[in-house]
Parts: sequence; structure tokens; C-alpha cells
Amino acid sequence: MEDKKNKFQIFLEFMRERLPLQKMNFETMVQKKEVPIHRMSWAYYLGGLTLLFFIIQLVTGTLLLFYYQSTVSDAYVSVEFITLYVKSGFLIRNLHTWSSSCMIFCLLAHMITTFAMKAFDRPREITWITGVLLLMLTFAFGFTGYLLPWHQIAVNATKVVLQSIEMVGQYLPGSLSTFPTYLKELIQGETSVGQATLSRFTALHVVILPLLFFGVLGLHLLSVQLHGMSQGVDKPTGKKEKFFPIFIIKDFWVWGCVFLGVFILAQCLPFESFSAYPLFEAYNSLGSTPDGIKPEWYFYFIYYPLEMLPFWVIMIGQVVAGVGLILTPWIFKHTSRKVLGMIAWLVTAYLVIITVFGPQIYEVVKGAH
Amino acid sequence: MFDQFMFVGLPYVALFSFIVGSIVRYRCRQFSYSSLSTQFLEDRWLAWASFPWHVGILIILMGHLVAFAMPGLWSSLMSVPLFLLVVEAIGVLCSFLCLMGLIILLVRRFVDAKLQAVTSYLDIIALIILLFQVCSGLSIALMHRWGAAWAPGALGPYLHSIFLLKPDVSLVVDMPVFVKLHIMSACVLIMFFPFTRLVHALSLPFQYFVRAPQKVVWTNTRAQARFEKKEKYEHERRLFLKAAVGVGSSIILLSLGTLDKFLSYFLKQDTTNSEQSHILAKKLQHLKQSAAERELELERMRQSSIFVANLSELSRDRGKYFIDYLMRPALAFIDEEGYPILLSAKCTHLGCTVGQNVDKDGRILCPCHISYFSIKTGEPSEGSPAKEPLPHLGWEIRDGQGNILVEQDSAGSRKGTLDEALKNNGKLYIAKRFS
Repeated sequence: MEDKKNKFQIFLEFMRERLPLQKMNFETMVQKKEVPIHRMSWAYYLGGLTLLFFIIQLVTGTLLLFYYQSTVSDAYVSVEFITLYVKSGFLIRNLHTWSSSCMIFCLLAHMITTFAMKAFDRPREITWITGVLLLMLTFAFGFTGYLLPWHQIAVNATKVVLQSIEMVGQYLPGSLSTFPTYLKELIQGETSVGQATLSRFTALHVVILPLLFFGVLGLHLLSVQLHGMSQGVDKPTGKKEKFFPIFIIKDFWVWGCVFLGVFILAQCLPFESFSAYPLFEAYNSLGSTPDGIKPEWYFYFIYYPLEMLPFWVIMIGQVVAGVGLILTPWIFKHTSRKVLGMIAWLVTAYLVIITVFGPQIYEVVKGAH
Repeated sequence: MFDQFMFVGLPYVALFSFIVGSIVRYRCRQFSYSSLSTQFLEDRWLAWASFPWHVGILIILMGHLVAFAMPGLWSSLMSVPLFLLVVEAIGVLCSFLCLMGLIILLVRRFVDAKLQAVTSYLDIIALIILLFQVCSGLSIALMHRWGAAWAPGALGPYLHSIFLLKPDVSLVVDMPVFVKLHIMSACVLIMFFPFTRLVHALSLPFQYFVRAPQKVVWTNTRAQARFEKKEKYEHERRLFLKAAVGVGSSIILLSLGTLDKFLSYFLKQDTTNSEQSHILAKKLQHLKQSAAERELELERMRQSSIFVANLSELSRDRGKYFIDYLMRPALAFIDEEGYPILLSAKCTHLGCTVGQNVDKDGRILCPCHISYFSIKTGEPSEGSPAKEPLPHLGWEIRDGQGNILVEQDSAGSRKGTLDEALKNNGKLYIAKRFS
């Protein structure tokens, strides 16, 4: 009995340190909050930028919902209608696709820099974990949203990903081996990707994921505000600037410039111009799959290894990476910022190389067979 | 006679008074050339009056000057509708600024005790003439629209005739009454100009812009400290104002730019009739396609066997797609002896649909991850990502009367033989009992 109570108290102490709600007042959160100035200061803008892109997604996504119809017969036509006939519908849709990519880019950069700056260190574990959850939610957004236009690449890429869930089954023992198939059909809602899948993905993309995202984001921002900005470097310069109004105005300035950039980009360059047209024809369930079915670029880091390495390697890698990300605050508790920086550089190098040169590496590896 | 006096006599009297009065005052009472500022007596209201008044009147005067000095250039600019609209809008806006400034200036003359001590009748007269002038100008702008476009042509010649000493009253006698009033009160204003505080308009302090900045230093340290504190406060206030203006104007610009797009998003689409029919046709086509798929599904639930193709349609190097009993894609080929080959077209790797074209080695290709499958055995070739073979489907061949003559189950055991007649008119079916 005595022991139990103590454990509960330990838990309470842990939470008290991580969520110092006594600091939840105007003075600490607004008047006293400061942002350190050092050579990594630019990284303090990345989280805000991700938030900006999320807001853009929210607004443009809501607008798209006014015309989008989530049935297999109407989805493609309604998206085409938005693009071709609705006034500035082209811009809204293009803004949505461009900003989704930008959001993932900023999110990854945000994560890598906070890692390198050891911003996950005690007492900021909750900030880090909620951040990792937000990353996963964002990937889920990307995956579910990809299916909605119901064109060739959307449906076929979704099929490929769902099928690869089923492949996990062969590595599981006994009756567990049917579980992935069960899981796949749970996601699909029927034996193959069809109306049920589209309805499910729409519900997820439009209602469930945003609600989850709001919750986690709220906790993330609250803990950022409660703990203030992390030091970020080993030897603080001692220079600081007020969060309000100095930093926030600079932040808005950056937002303004970036929004202008994305707006112009969305107005001038269709996101789809990077792939061959046949991929954006309406999905045809009776025809063959067209060439060049690929996931969005932000899944390359897992897609190309999946193509080139044995499946079990990917599986183990994925589990290790996932658990490692969640447990980062404890695994790297005593690691110096120098080493963290090196790891961050390695991860960045991997992501950049596989994303930019993925197709070429794939060619080389496949050619050797 | 009255017109002659008002539009010939008065202008020349006013000009004479203006020129002679200004020169005489400058030579005799040079130090009275001032606006006689009352800022140190009352500064809170003055800020809301003097600033809008000066901004408004300077812009309006500039407009009048350019329009009458360069009527050709001005008229060609005003022939652009958008430009005219902008100029008129700016003009009216500035008039309201002037009006607001003048009314506050006038009111503070009447309600502030300190000001009344220094107010002369001439100050009040000057303010009232100015007020009248602004009101008549505004009335013209509102009642006789697009003055910026018609005034240079209609009134320019009259003004020119005055300055060229060949006054021509006929150019103005038929003008609307507010235009006449505006001209008359302008003359009165010019007449009174040298005798009022308005003379400060002639003494522009240009050197303020080029002289070195002055730094105020107090010899009294306490006063200096107070002064510096005030300066710092003022500096921060200015920074805050700048930031507020920056943020505010960027929000306005952002809203203007994006709301235009966002609001138009909800407007009715302007599609032509042919576009509308195109959209509708496309929708219908997709609906039909969905309906066809649903029918296939229903057929597979109800029928014990389903027609795939006539044997004569099948070929050896290009498969025919059809849907099997599990609603998955499948391909039908024919072998050398004329027997059909039915293969599932769902790739055993990650479920893409395999292509229909057979290469020279008798293989079909799954384009997703480059797996080759032999159509004879269904086996993937060496090095393909797919490891499992594509399963064969069972089939039956019926004649025209629907009798089953040849059949083969999915394992490959065949009953019956194919003759030449059947090769030409046999019908290929898949059957529920084989799946």
C-alpha cells in the first residue's frame, strides 16, 4: 500500500515538472517570455512556419469541402470541376497541395533542429512526444488526403501501401499472421480499395485527424508556452529578445513572406506538373496500372528502401525508428549537443539523398540484379 | 452686369490685393509672416485638425494646379475610367479630411478660453471662407460628377482668359450655381489672403529638410534626465506605432489579396452552355461506369457462370481484361492449341494490375515494381519482387445453345476437347464452382 502511494506520488511529481500549470499566467507566458539569440536562432521560426502551413491547410481544406464529393463516381469529376470551373478553385486546390508539402518539409526541419538543439531535454519531454505524434498525424493526413482525388496514382498508390501492410503477416507466428490482413481490410472497409475506403479516408482526413491534431497541437503549444524557449546551444550568448512583441512581429514578417511565396507558387505552378499526365486520369478499375506509381515525395525515405531491401529489414527499421523517436528524450538524455548535431546531420543527409536521388539509386540497385 | 463684376472685377481686385498686399506685408511687417501657431495653447485638438486639413488641402490644390496648368496631359489621363475613378475618390476623401480639420479648427476657436484670447476676426473669417470653399467644392464633386474630367475643358479657358488679361465672362455664366460660388469664394479668399495667417503658405521652410538635426541638451541634469526619459518613451511609442501600422496595413493587404480569391470561390461559376453540357456528360459517364461496376458485382453474386469473351476474340499477345468472381481484375489469353488461359491480373507482390501486353518471351509485366510473369505458368521470373505465381482461373466453353463442351478447373485439369468449329464460335465463361 505504502509502495503504491509512493509510485503515484512519483508520477504526480513527474507531471508537475513537465506541466507546470502554476506558470499559466499572463506574466510568464506573455510578458516575461524571451527568445535566446545565437547562431541557431533561425530554428525558432520553424515551428511557427509549420503552424502557418497547418492554418493554410485548414482554410483551403474547408473551402475544398464545399465542392468535393466523396463518391467513387463523383470524386474525380468534382475535383476536376474545382480545378477548371470554380473561380480561383485552381488556386485553392493548388495552395492545399503545395502547402501540404511545405508543412511536412518544415515539420521535418523543425524536428531535426530541435533534436540537434537538445530541446527535448528535461523538462520538455511532453513537448517532444506531442511533436512526434503531430508528425505521425501529419503523415496520416498526407496518406489519407492522397486518395481523395480518386485518380490513377491516388488509388494505385493507396493499394500498394495497404498491400504492404498485409506483407507483415508472413513474419508473424501462428494465428497472428492473419492479423495484418484483418488490419488492412479494417482500413479498406472492403476486400479492395473502393467506395468504403474513400468514405473512410474522407472521414479521417476531414474530421477525425483534424480533431486529434487540434488536441495534440494544443498540448504541444501549451507546453512550449509553459517552459519557454529552450537554450539551444551549449554556451548561451546571454543575449535574448522579448517574445512579445519583438519575436512575434519578426515571426509574422516571416509568415508574410512565406505566404506570399506559396501563394505565388500556387498561382503559377501546378503541383501536378512534376508527374506524367496519365497518372492524373480518372481511376479505371478495369485497366492496367499505369507506369510510375509512386507515393508523394515525403514518403520516399521509406518507399525506396522498401523497394530495394528485404521487407523484414524495413519492418525492424520502422519499429526501431518509431520507438526511438518517442523515447528520444530518455535515450539521448546524456548525449552532448555536438553528437546530437552529428546525428541530425546524418539523418538530414539520408533524407535529402534518398528524396532527391531515390529514383537514380533505385535504378542502380535494380540494374545490378 | 452682376456677372461682369463677379467674374471680371472681383478676380482682378483679388489678384491686385494678393500681389500688392503680400509684397507690402513682407516688406513692412516681415515678422508677421507666420501661421501664428497656437500649438502651445492647445495641442490635443490641433493634432486632429491641422494634420488632416493640411494633408487634404495640399493634395487638392496640387490636383487643381496640375489640371489647370496642363489640361492636355490631365485630360488624357482622365480618359482612363479607372484613373478617373481613383482621382475622384482621392479628391472626395481629401475634401472630407479638410472638412473634418476645418470644423475642429473652428470649434476649438470657439470653445477654448485661451484660444479666444488670441483669436482675431480675420482668423474666423479666413476659416469660414475656407469652410465655404471646401463645401462648395465637395458639392460640385457630389452633384456634378466627374469634375476631374470636365473641369479642365470647361473652366480652364476662363482661367486662362483671366491670366492673359482677356477676360471672357461668357465661359462661366452658364455654369451651375455651385461652380459660380466656388469661383467667387476663391476670389474672396485670394483677396483676404495677405491679411490673414494664411500667408504662412508663402513661407515654405525648405531648409528644415536639409539642415543638420538639432540635439537638445539641458544644462540642468534633472531636466536632462526627464527629457531623455521622455525621448525614450517617444521613441518606443514611434516604434510601436510603426509596427502597428506595418502589421495593420499588411493585414489589410493580405485580406484584400486573399479575400478576393476566397469570396469569388463561392460565386456562381461563369460556364458557357457547352462547358456545362461537357461537365454534365462527364458526370454521367462516370456514373454509368460506377453503375456498370455495380452490375458486374450483382451479376457475380447471382450467376453461376459469367461470359468473358468469344473464343475468336482472344489473342496470344494481347490479353483481354475481365473481372473475376472476387471482383478482381483478370486477363484472358489463348495458347497455341487454341485453349484459353485465364490468369488473375492482381500482382502477387503489392496488388497492382498487371499489364495486358505479352512480350516475346511470353511474359506480362506488372509496371509498379517490374515483375514479369509467364502467362503459361503464372510464375514470376527470376529477380522479380513478386515471389508467388499469378493464380490460374477455371473456365468453361459453351456452344451457341449454352451446352458446356470443354471445361478446366483452376488447378488445370481439363475435360473435353476443342474442335475447329468451337474455336470459331465457342463462348468462354468463368464459373462460380471453380472459384
